[in-house]
Amino acid sequence: MSQFNSNIRSSLLRTAYCILGLLHAQRATHACPERSRGDASRTTTLPDLSILNCRVQLTKQKADNSISDTFTIELSGSIRAASESDYATVQILITDATEGTDRAKPVHSQSKQWQMQDAPPVFCYRADLGRLPNRVTTLSDWTTVAHLNLDWLLFPHKGKRTLQFSTSVLSSQNGQEIAYAECLFAYENPAFGYVDLQENIHRAKSLAVALAFAVSAADNKMYHSEVQLIKNWAKKELRIENSELRNSTFYILHSKLEEALDHAVGFFQKGNQLDIYKVCKEIVEIAPLSERYDILDLCLQVARAKGTVAAEELVVLKYIATWLEVDMDRFRAMMEKRLPVNIHQVKDAKVVLGLSSDMGKERTRRQLNKQYRQWNSRVTNADPEIQAQADQMLRLIAEARSQYVG
Amino acid sequence: MSNIVGIDLGTTFSELAILNAIGKPEIIPNADGERLTPSAIFFDEDSPGVIRVGIEALNARHLNAERSVRWIKRHMGDANYRKEIDGKIWTPVELSALILKKLKQECSVEHGEIHEAVISVPAHFDEVRRKATMDAGASAGLNVIGIVNEPVAAALYYATTREVFGKVLVYDLGGGTFDVTILDVRGPQIEIICSQGDHALGGMDFDQKILQMLEESYREKFGAALITSDEDRAKYEDEAEDIKKTLSRRPVAKKMLYGPAGSMKVEITREMFEESIDSLIARADILVEVALEEAGLEPAGINKVLLVGGSTRIPLVQQRLEKMFGFAPDKTVNVDECVALGAALHAGLTTLRDKPEAVPAGIASGLRDIILRDVCNHSYGTICAPLDKETGRRVIQNRIILKKNTPLPCETSQMFYTMSQGQTALEITITQGEDADPEYVNKIATHKFELPPGRPAECPIKVTYRYDVNQRMHCQFQDLQSGRTLEVDFCLDHDGQSRQVGIQEKTSQLEHVTVQ
Repeated sequence: MSQFNSNIRSSLLRTAYCILGLLHAQRATHACPERSRGDASRTTTLPDLSILNCRVQLTKQKADNSISDTFTIELSGSIRAASESDYATVQILITDATEGTDRAKPVHSQSKQWQMQDAPPVFCYRADLGRLPNRVTTLSDWTTVAHLNLDWLLFPHKGKRTLQFSTSVLSSQNGQEIAYAECLFAYENPAFGYVDLQENIHRAKSLAVALAFAVSAADNKMYHSEVQLIKNWAKKELRIENSELRNSTFYILHSKLEEALDHAVGFFQKGNQLDIYKVCKEIVEIAPLSERYDILDLCLQVARAKGTVAAEELVVLKYIATWLEVDMDRFRAMMEKRLPVNIHQVKDAKVVLGLSSDMGKERTRRQLNKQYRQWNSRVTNADPEIQAQADQMLRLIAEARSQYVG
Repeated sequence: MSNIVGIDLGTTFSELAILNAIGKPEIIPNADGERLTPSAIFFDEDSPGVIRVGIEALNARHLNAERSVRWIKRHMGDANYRKEIDGKIWTPVELSALILKKLKQECSVEHGEIHEAVISVPAHFDEVRRKATMDAGASAGLNVIGIVNEPVAAALYYATTREVFGKVLVYDLGGGTFDVTILDVRGPQIEIICSQGDHALGGMDFDQKILQMLEESYREKFGAALITSDEDRAKYEDEAEDIKKTLSRRPVAKKMLYGPAGSMKVEITREMFEESIDSLIARADILVEVALEEAGLEPAGINKVLLVGGSTRIPLVQQRLEKMFGFAPDKTVNVDECVALGAALHAGLTTLRDKPEAVPAGIASGLRDIILRDVCNHSYGTICAPLDKETGRRVIQNRIILKKNTPLPCETSQMFYTMSQGQTALEITITQGEDADPEYVNKIATHKFELPPGRPAECPIKVTYRYDVNQRMHCQFQDLQSGRTLEVDFCLDHDGQSRQVGIQEKTSQLEHVTVQ
């Protein structure tokens, strides 16, 4: 299911980037008949000064009392001005050409200041170079023209990337490109890229559906209400957002999704089990904390869908919360809201009150006092349901105190 | 001279005390000569228009439970509770007013017209329940000049009549509610440090445990239910209460059970009883610990434990306290009466502060040295939408501005900021409760605060809450840039004309009701 969905999205994205790449290549071809191509890894060789050359270095720059990682762009070679005393501007674009220049993806900018005006959020750096002293100006040494703070940039992918830096010198009079140079630079991106993030969102949602089914199947019975809830969630969250697709592909995708969901139900109904730990581990790697809470909330909704929650479901939920590395107090607060104690098939004080076997008497006493303080203040709530829940919790707390503290 | 009285409107019993000529409080017996009046009501079917309150009503429950009401205090402020008698719907406020009317009219016979009174409430009662209690007083024709927390009233009485000094813990386990209050007593100067309460822990819960034992014994022997009607239940509830009282004096209580399948003799030992109430006592222990935590004290930091309320006669209660604190609790005054006596003292202090000319010289001299400093009973806050540090998302949250147990009078401010550019209004919600989650707090007022247009986000709004000794709260929301303010006042006894009109209607309705 997720594979299918992700394939469609990937192909869409690929198509989009191909078009972008083509447009970029066409514009450059028209503007600059004399083009040079360098490789940052070969910058030690002497450049040809008859054309413009560029190179990139990863440096650290100090700004506003902090030190930032920066791409330093240097140029050397010749710039031919359209007229005497022409003023020039430098423009730098970056693409991720790891998969080849024909499949290059643009680097984006998080800062509006460095976004291409007619194609945001594509990164585009522009800065005045000043007046060119001659009709043909030759930079005989490597000359720094820009420091690109890495904080501005959003790469398409994480990991080892080959970046292509396209540097144009533009005439300030008419915006015509008067010189161009490009170079490749190998860079290891430590963070997820924007394409990764999109794919991660989708992947995390697919994994969420799997976890939700695992919760539903925890008591060895998948209720219609639980399955329906998961299906509705999946249809809402994994839908194709592109409006053009709604007419043509949407219905195919919809039926494929339905088919995949039914397949998942069948998988669990046959008694198969999911490696919940593995799924959670992957989610932790790709999803931010806020999304992990959303996934947990889906699982809690599934647990309550049939009106009661089984002890086995509570156990699975606790594992999921632990492995999703969320704050356990926050998880308990979510549980209290989604799964009030009156719908628990087995009222296990340890689960409900956050007690564990390794707690000594003193820690148990403190935990129970904390819980008491919380529920005692809710017992006069205007909502009768909350009142009833608080009453039940206070009884459980008192019983647990009797049993475990004495 | 008008009488200065205090009333303990209890779950099981109610009492009225009056300040004598030298400012000492005295319990006024009812028409039957009893110092305690059962908080029970019976709508007499044989004498239409007559409503019986007290011991007669208590006994009548066994004959016609449907027309009886008991433990109405547990329902005070509950908008869903209704009792229908002969087509008329009675609310908890009206039913409580009948009890107060009985106390008022019977005291008035010997002592002249009773008009102004202070009524005691459990420390944990929220604003709604406190207002409901005041409404009940007003409906009974009383001018309720104040509300006092039961443990505070008890402590006031103790502190002014006994040798008490230092950190004092008042353990108030009554018929239906339980409060723990910690005070700092320095001669006649009494400072409340904190109060904690449990609304559903009291003598009636212990009675229920005994009742369960009776029912189980009967079922075990006859395989049948002991209780088959509301009247049976009423009868055995009272039997259970009797057994509980017996077990406070003797190790064994014996009773005859007359059920539909036959009769049997049952013996309940103190040990059995103590085992059955173990979780309830554990709940009481927790509340004591929570109060100590709130006060920042260890048990060793408490100099005296004062007992209040009939349920403190249970030996296990006293043993647990002795074990926790290392000394026996003080039980030198009548635990059933000290709340009413203290409420009368509080009424005297209130009158002396608000209308000193109305207080006779003898009473004024008796009260002159007493200084009582109370605390805020609950936390008050407002709803806001801060950024969650963990998730980076905005979350709707209740932010406490005035914290529970802050000494009165008090004032505190916090700064908030508008969320969006061009924001022209704020939805103001004033809350009462201890939770950060808005779902778990009571929203006591909502208002719209208009702001000037065309401004950026993050404009500062200063929120100030002020609470005075008369339990009046003033809330101010101030837009610092424009100087615009929104002011909201809360007062237990004056919260709008419509309510006053409603009370007057109820008062005139009750005037035509004969309470005996």
